[in-house]
Amino acid sequence: MTKLLETRGLNKSFGGVSALKDLSIHQDMGETLGMIGPNGSGKTTFINAVTGHLTLDGGEVSLEGKVIRGKRPHAIAQAGLERTYQAVRVYAQLPVAENLRVAALPHYRRLGYSNPLDGVDVLLAKLGLKPKKETVAGSLTLFEQRRLELAMRLISRPKLIMLDEPVGGLNPTEIREMIQLLKDLRTECGLFVIEHTMKVIMELADRVVVLVSGEMIANGAPVAILQDANVIRHYLGSIRVTSR
Amino acid sequence: MTLEAILLNGLAVITTGLVVGAIFSLVAAGVTIMYGTIWLPNASNGQFFMLAALLTWSMVIGWGLSPFLGAAVVIAGAIPFSLLLEKCLIRPFYNVPNRNIVYFIMTLGLAQIFAGAFTGTYGQWTDNYSIPAAWPGALMIGPFPFPRTRFLVLLVSFSLLTGLFVFLRLHRVGRALRAVFQNREAAILRGVDVRRIYRFSFVLAMLVITTGGVLFAMAYGFDLTMSWTMAIIAFAIMIVGGPGSVLGSVVIGMIFGFTQAAVSLFASPTLATFSYLVVMLIILLVKPSGLFAR
Amino acid sequence: MAHRRAAVVALTILALALPFLFAGNRFYAFILGITYLYILWSSGMNLLSGFTGLMPLMYAGLAGIGAYTTVNLVMKASVSFWLAMPVGALAAAVVGVVLGLPSLRLRGFYFTLSGLVIQTALTMLFVYVPQFTAGDTGISQIPPPSIPLPGRTFPLTGVWLEETLAVAAVLTVYLVRWITRSTLGTYLVAIREDDLLTEALGIDVVRNRVLAFFISSLIAGVGGAFYAHYMGFVSPRSFDVLTSLNTWLIVGFGGQGTILGPIVGTLILAPIPYLLQELYLYKDIIYGGLIVFTTIFLPRGVYGSFLFYRRTRAAARAAASPKPEVARS
Repeated sequence: MTKLLETRGLNKSFGGVSALKDLSIHQDMGETLGMIGPNGSGKTTFINAVTGHLTLDGGEVSLEGKVIRGKRPHAIAQAGLERTYQAVRVYAQLPVAENLRVAALPHYRRLGYSNPLDGVDVLLAKLGLKPKKETVAGSLTLFEQRRLELAMRLISRPKLIMLDEPVGGLNPTEIREMIQLLKDLRTECGLFVIEHTMKVIMELADRVVVLVSGEMIANGAPVAILQDANVIRHYLGSIRVTSR
Repeated sequence: MTLEAILLNGLAVITTGLVVGAIFSLVAAGVTIMYGTIWLPNASNGQFFMLAALLTWSMVIGWGLSPFLGAAVVIAGAIPFSLLLEKCLIRPFYNVPNRNIVYFIMTLGLAQIFAGAFTGTYGQWTDNYSIPAAWPGALMIGPFPFPRTRFLVLLVSFSLLTGLFVFLRLHRVGRALRAVFQNREAAILRGVDVRRIYRFSFVLAMLVITTGGVLFAMAYGFDLTMSWTMAIIAFAIMIVGGPGSVLGSVVIGMIFGFTQAAVSLFASPTLATFSYLVVMLIILLVKPSGLFAR
Repeated sequence: MAHRRAAVVALTILALALPFLFAGNRFYAFILGITYLYILWSSGMNLLSGFTGLMPLMYAGLAGIGAYTTVNLVMKASVSFWLAMPVGALAAAVVGVVLGLPSLRLRGFYFTLSGLVIQTALTMLFVYVPQFTAGDTGISQIPPPSIPLPGRTFPLTGVWLEETLAVAAVLTVYLVRWITRSTLGTYLVAIREDDLLTEALGIDVVRNRVLAFFISSLIAGVGGAFYAHYMGFVSPRSFDVLTSLNTWLIVGFGGQGTILGPIVGTLILAPIPYLLQELYLYKDIIYGGLIVFTTIFLPRGVYGSFLFYRRTRAAARAAASPKPEVARS
């Protein structure tokens, strides 16, 4: 069966330092994949390489069977693969509605809408941003900005969203809400989640890959990963398992 | 061409290349220090170069000072001038994230002010400026007379460049400068007072550029168009050599200097300038970090 | 909304009527003509610097290409101005894209620097390729455009020439306004705000930048052609780096990224060298000083600052007096 995301033999080095070493990771349809690993292990590099922001030195990448390696980021987004950023990125000077309009413009015709703002209100309501529709994005709280970031991806009906530390900087209540939000989203599109907060991974991921120094050292169900001796040695010893 | 002619021309090219190259290197070193450390691309570097040259000329021709004294006065005067400039125009932007563009535009405006001022003042008196030789006479290299003043300028430039190089590598403050260039955040963590380093680099760079202008005035005659030409050349050297790399400035500066000397022998010097532009553009598009990138 | 539209119509009528009001006084009419020219030019540059965030320092060089191409076609090949001008504009646009495209990859300062380099190279070309440009001496006795009527051609001189410039300026402003309200305009603003995010959202940043560059260069070329045939004389000095810089000043001082900004900037700055004749010698010092002043104190420009303060005061007033949430569809 065609995999949602298939990467094989990914290689990338920066000036002699190898960031991704012959990495082969795949994500099945309907599966939520998590990725964990120490800082600098190559997690964000992986997202950057898959979404076309970095050129790979070697390897193949395909989305639902179609090759996307070598395509530019905008073409990959058009193909249905979106990503978010570790440090949230929105158009801070523009109001929320305008942020969404920009995100919708490249896709709405392809999706069969007559107006880029079709479906925006529903999306805003689902993400609890309706009252902030005309607020300038820079004045939103971090949690609201992260939700706006999600909305801007969802409006293009992607097949897969790669989330880079989606709960970074959020307090425990917000983390709980975000986890619930993401759980609901799983029915709409595939999710790939990089996180340091294990609670998120435990609750969301069907399967987890562990990345250390550009190599995958473990791959399995979250519970099994937590008990893997290799993983504990390289990574878990230094981080908290649940958020306080 | 007779052997004698070849020898004469060859020696002319070599000596001119050395002197011009050294001065190019000085100005480019100043520009690259400013850009590398403070992130300040100074588009008016050519105007400061010209200002130094013009003031030296004024001191000698207008006030009758000896060239050495005139040079010393101008260089000494550069210090308070730079400090004032730093305080009013440069310091306000230290914490602005995209300050390099702001600085570039602002210094372009500054360059326009100076250009207009020069045309309105010096430009009204004469077109060409030259200072009588500070050290009269010439050294004979075989059949070739090498004016003593230019020889002196060459010695001073090389000493200055060497000193600069040593300072940046070995002296505590010089190393702090390089630390800030390489990684501003890390330097802050190591206790470096970044703002003071910025101020210091600015003044140091201005001094180097000023000295370049003064030395040039002592060695050659010049006209007002040199200001824009020098600015372009300095940027070209900085880009090709690698922003922030003094070594790059020196190597590329010398190469450009020799190119200038050689090309001027057969064709218009403008052709040389044109070639620098082409090289700079190529490097910008192919390897923007320059040839000696850190 | 209604009085916004009324204001636009009124301004347009005023712009088209002014040449007739000034017809009697050639001196003021000339200043009006120059003003229209700069409104056209600065609107074109605004598209790039204000809406895309790229500062094109080679703008004047491109105008020069438009000018020299048109002049050569008209004077050497007896082509009508109205055919030559689009060709010149196209030449400027093509050169602009060809030279600018590789540097569009460069970030911020490097892009600006490459623009400076290309401008310098273009000026050198203008000086040292006399077959095309007559070098530093320049080309003089350039005839004004004429309208071919049945029977005879009617040269546009005097008030009709200024009126032609007025029409050109008005059309250009409308064009830029239309673009900024289109999808392209939205994309350009997004690219200016965060080009990486915009690319990640599925928008082809390079293609849109090239498009903006093409249109902007086209306008530069049109302006160059009109300049040549209005002044009757061109030389490489007309299209050097200072011209690019001063056009940017007009845009920046007036207010980048707004439609009225360049107009405000032009109205204030363009007449200065001519109205204050004694100050002509100090033109560079004044303009240079204004550039420094604008970068430090007035980064939003005159009109931009006005809009900003109006918006912040409105927001402050809205925050102070809470209103019930009005449902919007």
